[in-house]
Amino acid sequence: MSEVQRKKYSDKEKNTIFDQEFMPHIDSMYNFGFRLTFDEDDAKDLVQDTYLKAYRFINSFEQGTNAKAWLFRILKNSFINDYRKKSKQPAKIDYQEVETYYNSDDVDFGITTDLRVDAVKDMLGDEISNALNSLAVDFRTVIILCDLEGFTYEEMAKILDIPIGTVRSRLHRARNLLKEKLRSYAQNMGYNTDEEE
Amino acid sequence: MDKNLESEGERKLSCSDVSKCFKLLESILDGDNIPDSQEILNQKLAKCQPCFEHYHLEKAIKEVLRTKCTKHVVPSDVVDRIREKIQDIK
Repeated sequence: MSEVQRKKYSDKEKNTIFDQEFMPHIDSMYNFGFRLTFDEDDAKDLVQDTYLKAYRFINSFEQGTNAKAWLFRILKNSFINDYRKKSKQPAKIDYQEVETYYNSDDVDFGITTDLRVDAVKDMLGDEISNALNSLAVDFRTVIILCDLEGFTYEEMAKILDIPIGTVRSRLHRARNLLKEKLRSYAQNMGYNTDEEE
Repeated sequence: MDKNLESEGERKLSCSDVSKCFKLLESILDGDNIPDSQEILNQKLAKCQPCFEHYHLEKAIKEVLRTKCTKHVVPSDVVDRIREKIQDIK
C-alpha cells in the first residue's frame, strides 16, 4: 500500500537533485535543528546527518516533489531517534503526559483573553523566541513548522507522522500555551493586558 | 477597518463552542483548505466577539513569530563538511 516506487538516479542526477532541491533548504534545516536542541553543535550534527541520509536514500526521493518537507521529516526522525536518546538531558516533559493533560476541550476553558494585539506587536524578537523556546518540544515543533516555516497541515502531518486532525489540535494547544507565556511577558513589560480598546 | 463589520449588528459576547470555533479560525488563518472559508470568517468576525478577538490575536502572534524570530544561518563549515563526507560515500 505504502510502497515507494524506487528510482535509480545516475550520479549526475543525484548531484543535481542534491544541489538544486536539497541544499537551498539548509538554513531552514539548521534553524529547525537549533530550535529543537538550543545548541549550535547539536544543530550542526543534525543538519549534517540529515543531508548524509538524504544523499544515501536519494533514490526514495521523487524528483520535483516537496524536498523541504522530505528533509524536515528526516531531521525530525534523527532528532527523535538519535539525538534524544544520546542527550544527557532527556525531554523534561513527556509528550504523552502533556497530550493526556490537554486532551479535552477543557484546553479552552479559562483561556486568557486579556492579551492585547498591540502588546504582541510591540514585543521584541527575543521575547517571542523565549516564549516559543519554553514550550515542550512537540508543541514547539508544530509552531515552528506552521508559523516559522509555512508548512501546510498536510505537509506537517507527513513530517510528523500524525493525522491532520492531530496537527490541528496540537497546534491549537501549542498556541494556547504560547499565549500564556506571551501574556506573562506582556505583564512583566508593564503592558496593560486588561483593557480592550 | 474591521470595526466596519460592527455596523451589521452587535457581536455576541460569548461563543457557544469556543474550542471548535477557535480551531476553525486558526485553520483558516493557516490557509488550510476549508470550503467557503472567507464567508465563514466574515460571519464569525462580525457576529462573535470572542472569535473576533481570538482571530486578531492569533494573526498578530503568527506575524511576529514569522517576522521577529531570529533565523539562524548555517555556519559555512557545515556545508563544506557535508560535501566532503558525500565524496567519501561515493
